[in-house]
Amino acid sequence: MKNRLKPLRAEHNWTQADLAGLLDVSRQTVNAIEKGKYDPSLPLAFKIARLFQLPIEAIFEDEDA
Amino acid sequence: MKQIIDAICSKGLPLRDIQNANRVNLLALLWALSLGGTSFLAHQGYLTTTWVLASSFILHGVIGIWMLLAFKRFLRQLDEMERKIQLDALALAVGVSIIGFSLYSILDMADLLPDLKAAYLVVLLSLTYMLGIIFGRLSYR
Repeated sequence: MKNRLKPLRAEHNWTQADLAGLLDVSRQTVNAIEKGKYDPSLPLAFKIARLFQLPIEAIFEDEDA
Repeated sequence: MKQIIDAICSKGLPLRDIQNANRVNLLALLWALSLGGTSFLAHQGYLTTTWVLASSFILHGVIGIWMLLAFKRFLRQLDEMERKIQLDALALAVGVSIIGFSLYSILDMADLLPDLKAAYLVVLLSLTYMLGIIFGRLSYR
Protein backbone atom coordinates (compact mmCIF):
# COMPACT_ATOMS: atom_id res chain seq x y z
CA MET A 1 0.00 0.00 0.00
CA LYS A 2 1.38 3.38 -1.01
CA ASN A 3 1.84 5.85 1.82
CA ARG A 4 3.37 9.18 2.75
CA LEU A 5 5.19 7.93 5.80
CA LYS A 6 8.69 8.75 4.57
CA PRO A 7 8.03 12.41 3.69
CA LEU A 8 6.03 12.91 6.88
CA ARG A 9 8.91 11.45 8.88
CA ALA A 10 11.37 13.71 7.07
CA GLU A 11 9.26 16.79 7.95
CA HIS A 12 9.86 16.01 11.61
CA ASN A 13 13.54 15.15 11.09
CA TRP A 14 12.97 11.72 12.56
CA THR A 15 15.03 8.69 11.67
CA GLN A 16 13.33 5.34 11.08
CA ALA A 17 14.58 4.30 14.52
CA ASP A 18 13.04 7.45 16.09
CA LEU A 19 9.68 6.74 14.47
CA ALA A 20 9.89 3.07 15.42
CA GLY A 21 10.45 4.04 19.05
CA LEU A 22 7.46 6.40 19.02
CA LEU A 23 5.23 3.69 17.51
CA ASP A 24 6.68 0.87 19.64
CA VAL A 25 7.57 -1.24 16.61
CA SER A 26 10.86 -2.34 15.10
CA ARG A 27 12.84 -0.21 12.66
CA GLN A 28 12.35 -2.98 10.09
CA THR A 29 8.58 -2.55 10.36
CA VAL A 30 8.84 1.19 9.69
CA ASN A 31 11.17 0.49 6.76
CA ALA A 32 8.84 -2.17 5.32
CA ILE A 33 5.79 0.13 5.63
CA GLU A 34 7.61 3.00 3.91
CA LYS A 35 8.62 0.72 1.04
CA GLY A 36 5.08 -0.59 0.72
CA LYS A 37 6.21 -4.15 1.50
CA TYR A 38 4.12 -4.42 4.67
CA ASP A 39 0.64 -3.05 5.39
CA PRO A 40 0.22 -2.01 9.05
CA SER A 41 -2.59 -3.36 11.19
CA LEU A 42 -5.54 -1.08 11.89
CA PRO A 43 -4.39 -0.20 15.43
CA LEU A 44 -0.91 0.67 14.12
CA ALA A 45 -2.39 2.73 11.27
CA PHE A 46 -4.46 4.68 13.81
CA LYS A 47 -1.36 5.15 15.97
CA ILE A 48 0.53 6.56 12.99
CA ALA A 49 -2.38 8.88 12.16
CA ARG A 50 -2.55 10.13 15.77
CA LEU A 51 1.22 10.70 15.84
CA PHE A 52 1.16 12.85 12.71
CA GLN A 53 -2.24 14.36 13.60
CA LEU A 54 -3.63 13.48 10.18
CA PRO A 55 -6.52 11.27 9.04
CA ILE A 56 -5.51 7.77 7.94
CA GLU A 57 -6.56 8.54 4.36
CA ALA A 58 -4.06 11.40 4.24
CA ILE A 59 -1.22 8.99 5.03
CA PHE A 60 -2.23 5.73 3.34
CA GLU A 61 -3.50 5.50 -0.21
CA ASP A 62 -6.24 2.99 -0.93
CA GLU A 63 -5.05 1.61 -4.28
CA ASP A 64 -8.39 -0.11 -4.95
CA ALA A 65 -10.35 3.15 -4.71
CA MET B 1 25.49 -12.00 2.97
CA LYS B 2 25.26 -9.20 5.55
CA GLN B 3 21.49 -9.14 5.10
CA ILE B 4 21.29 -12.89 5.79
CA ILE B 5 23.40 -12.56 8.93
CA ASP B 6 21.28 -9.61 10.09
CA ALA B 7 18.15 -11.70 9.47
CA ILE B 8 19.53 -14.58 11.55
CA CYS B 9 20.64 -12.32 14.41
CA SER B 10 17.33 -10.39 14.68
CA LYS B 11 19.17 -7.13 14.22
CA GLY B 12 17.05 -4.05 14.84
CA LEU B 13 14.34 -5.65 16.94
CA PRO B 14 13.33 -3.85 20.14
CA LEU B 15 15.26 -4.90 23.24
CA ARG B 16 12.11 -6.43 24.79
CA ASP B 17 11.70 -8.76 21.78
CA ILE B 18 15.36 -9.76 21.83
CA GLN B 19 15.20 -10.51 25.57
CA ASN B 20 12.05 -12.60 25.10
CA ALA B 21 13.65 -14.44 22.18
CA ASN B 22 16.78 -15.17 24.24
CA ARG B 23 14.59 -16.58 27.02
CA VAL B 24 12.83 -18.88 24.55
CA ASN B 25 16.15 -19.94 22.99
CA LEU B 26 17.64 -20.72 26.41
CA LEU B 27 14.64 -22.82 27.40
CA ALA B 28 14.73 -24.59 24.03
CA LEU B 29 18.37 -25.45 24.66
CA LEU B 30 17.55 -26.75 28.16
CA TRP B 31 14.69 -28.78 26.69
CA ALA B 32 16.99 -30.30 24.07
CA LEU B 33 19.64 -31.03 26.73
CA SER B 34 17.06 -32.70 28.99
CA LEU B 35 16.01 -34.89 26.05
CA GLY B 36 19.62 -35.67 25.28
CA GLY B 37 20.28 -36.46 28.91
CA THR B 38 17.30 -38.79 29.06
CA SER B 39 18.47 -40.52 25.90
CA PHE B 40 21.93 -40.95 27.46
CA LEU B 41 20.40 -42.44 30.62
CA ALA B 42 18.36 -44.81 28.47
CA HIS B 43 21.47 -46.03 26.64
CA GLN B 44 23.22 -46.56 29.96
CA GLY B 45 20.30 -48.64 31.19
CA TYR B 46 19.23 -46.27 33.98
CA LEU B 47 15.70 -45.62 32.71
CA THR B 48 14.53 -48.96 34.05
CA THR B 49 14.62 -47.43 37.55
CA THR B 50 11.23 -45.90 38.36
CA TRP B 51 12.44 -42.73 40.10
CA VAL B 52 14.94 -41.97 37.30
CA LEU B 53 12.25 -42.46 34.65
CA ALA B 54 9.73 -40.36 36.60
CA SER B 55 12.28 -37.58 37.24
CA SER B 56 13.34 -37.47 33.60
CA PHE B 57 9.75 -37.45 32.43
CA ILE B 58 8.69 -34.68 34.82
CA LEU B 59 11.81 -32.54 34.25
CA HIS B 60 11.50 -32.76 30.47
CA GLY B 61 7.78 -32.00 30.64
CA VAL B 62 8.18 -29.02 32.97
CA ILE B 63 10.93 -27.48 30.82
CA GLY B 64 8.81 -28.07 27.72
CA ILE B 65 5.77 -26.36 29.21
CA TRP B 66 7.92 -23.48 30.49
CA MET B 67 9.35 -23.11 26.97
CA LEU B 68 5.84 -23.05 25.45
CA LEU B 69 4.67 -20.37 27.87
CA ALA B 70 7.77 -18.29 27.15
CA PHE B 71 7.16 -18.64 23.41
CA LYS B 72 3.51 -17.63 23.85
CA ARG B 73 4.60 -14.52 25.77
CA PHE B 74 7.24 -13.82 23.12
CA LEU B 75 4.66 -13.94 20.31
CA ARG B 76 2.14 -11.77 22.19
CA GLN B 77 4.64 -8.99 22.92
CA LEU B 78 6.33 -9.13 19.52
CA ASP B 79 6.36 -6.35 16.94
CA GLU B 80 3.44 -7.05 14.55
CA MET B 81 5.47 -7.58 11.39
CA GLU B 82 7.89 -9.88 13.19
CA ARG B 83 4.89 -11.78 14.61
CA LYS B 84 3.61 -12.32 11.07
CA ILE B 85 7.05 -13.61 10.02
CA GLN B 86 7.13 -15.98 13.03
CA LEU B 87 3.62 -17.34 12.38
CA ASP B 88 4.30 -17.79 8.66
CA ALA B 89 7.50 -19.70 9.52
CA LEU B 90 5.60 -21.90 12.01
CA ALA B 91 2.93 -22.69 9.41
CA LEU B 92 5.63 -23.60 6.88
CA ALA B 93 7.44 -25.78 9.41
CA VAL B 94 4.28 -27.67 10.39
CA GLY B 95 3.24 -28.17 6.76
CA VAL B 96 6.64 -29.35 5.57
CA SER B 97 7.01 -31.65 8.59
CA ILE B 98 3.59 -33.27 8.17
CA ILE B 99 4.14 -33.88 4.47
CA GLY B 100 7.78 -34.93 4.94
CA PHE B 101 6.86 -37.27 7.78
CA SER B 102 4.07 -38.93 5.80
CA LEU B 103 6.27 -39.35 2.71
CA TYR B 104 9.06 -40.83 4.83
CA SER B 105 6.61 -43.26 6.46
CA ILE B 106 5.57 -44.58 3.02
CA LEU B 107 9.20 -45.28 2.11
CA ASP B 108 9.75 -46.71 5.59
CA MET B 109 6.84 -49.13 5.12
CA ALA B 110 8.39 -50.22 1.80
CA ASP B 111 11.67 -50.84 3.65
CA LEU B 112 13.46 -48.35 1.41
CA LEU B 113 14.46 -46.16 4.36
CA PRO B 114 15.43 -46.94 7.98
CA ASP B 115 12.81 -46.80 10.75
CA LEU B 116 11.23 -43.40 11.23
CA LYS B 117 12.32 -41.69 14.45
CA ALA B 118 10.70 -38.77 16.22
CA ALA B 119 14.06 -36.97 16.32
CA TYR B 120 13.98 -36.66 12.50
CA LEU B 121 10.68 -34.80 12.77
CA VAL B 122 12.04 -32.42 15.41
CA VAL B 123 15.11 -31.66 13.30
CA LEU B 124 13.03 -31.12 10.11
CA LEU B 125 10.58 -28.89 12.02
CA SER B 126 13.39 -26.82 13.55
CA LEU B 127 15.36 -26.37 10.33
CA THR B 128 12.28 -25.44 8.30
CA TYR B 129 11.21 -22.97 10.99
CA MET B 130 14.65 -21.31 11.00
CA LEU B 131 14.70 -21.06 7.20
CA GLY B 132 11.17 -19.64 7.26
CA ILE B 133 12.27 -16.92 9.69
CA ILE B 134 15.32 -16.01 7.61
CA PHE B 135 13.43 -15.85 4.31
CA GLY B 136 10.56 -13.97 5.95
CA ARG B 137 12.87 -11.29 7.34
CA LEU B 138 14.73 -10.98 4.03
CA SER B 139 11.47 -10.56 2.11
CA TYR B 140 10.49 -7.50 4.15
CA ARG B 141 13.86 -5.72 3.86
